[in-house]
Amino acid sequence: MSPTLMGIMAISLGSMMLSAAVVVLFVRDLLSAIIITGFVSLSASALFLLMDATDVAVTEASIGAVLATLIFLWGRGKIGGGE
Amino acid sequence: MIRTVSVLAILLVLGALAAAVVPHLGMPRELAGVGREYARDGMEVTGSANLVTAVIVAYRGLDTLGEVVVLFCASTSVVLILTLFPLGVRPSPPSRIVEHTARVLPAPILLFAFYFIAHSHLSPGGGFPGGTVMASAFLLVMLGSTSVPGRSGSLPAIEALAGISFGLLGFWGVLTAGQFLNNRVLGTGTPGQLVSAGLIPLISIAIGAKVASEFSGVFAAFRKTGGME
Repeated sequence: MSPTLMGIMAISLGSMMLSAAVVVLFVRDLLSAIIITGFVSLSASALFLLMDATDVAVTEASIGAVLATLIFLWGRGKIGGGE
Repeated sequence: MIRTVSVLAILLVLGALAAAVVPHLGMPRELAGVGREYARDGMEVTGSANLVTAVIVAYRGLDTLGEVVVLFCASTSVVLILTLFPLGVRPSPPSRIVEHTARVLPAPILLFAFYFIAHSHLSPGGGFPGGTVMASAFLLVMLGSTSVPGRSGSLPAIEALAGISFGLLGFWGVLTAGQFLNNRVLGTGTPGQLVSAGLIPLISIAIGAKVASEFSGVFAAFRKTGGME
């Protein structure tokens, strides 16, 4: 089975997502952690798009990458910066 | 140090669990059971060209109603907590980039959201994603200004109206067809036409309006209580 373009894209997106998710755990700065979490959601959305699940991709992009990230940012503002 | 080690240990355990489960999953070659039934008869029964929306809104409409109720409870409690503990911080003025983006982008975002909701029975889409996209347009407008939203009754009114109409559309089926959320009370039309698929477009619009007004209410509460930086 030769690797297709879709397969290569899926594998690279998945490995980027995985490594970002691991990096979040070890980042000291709260702001960077929040932005990287948003990046994980964005790559998940791109993966859903590769699997032809357009509606799920849009939901993930708007909820996971935009709204959740913003709410984390506001929460960070409320507790005053953090680590 | 202890933190790093414990995190690594948890990751290892989770990875081992996933490695144990994944080989048994596999992708089935063809649909089985109820899925095959939906794929075979779905378009004819519901009149919806998009089978995913047909399953979400028509076959599993009751689940969607419950989901909407859960979302209502969540947004209400967020707004309640925010108004109980206000910070009283005035919003700082947005940067020029945000200010000018907020003048241009909301219109196309709203257009996309309307399309996404209204065409959910024809192409990938649906009330929930469309509503969240719509709410993000409102959020952009809010971030582009320093004004604080006043006491407005229109958001809760839209929310209540959308929720009630979802329920009433369900009871219409009880009255005429003897089944809650029966999709065929309106006639299904030709699959692929904009006006088709029975109740599905109407329910999608109700869900979209409800989700958009709920999220916008949460954002307005953040802005009012000084939660936004």
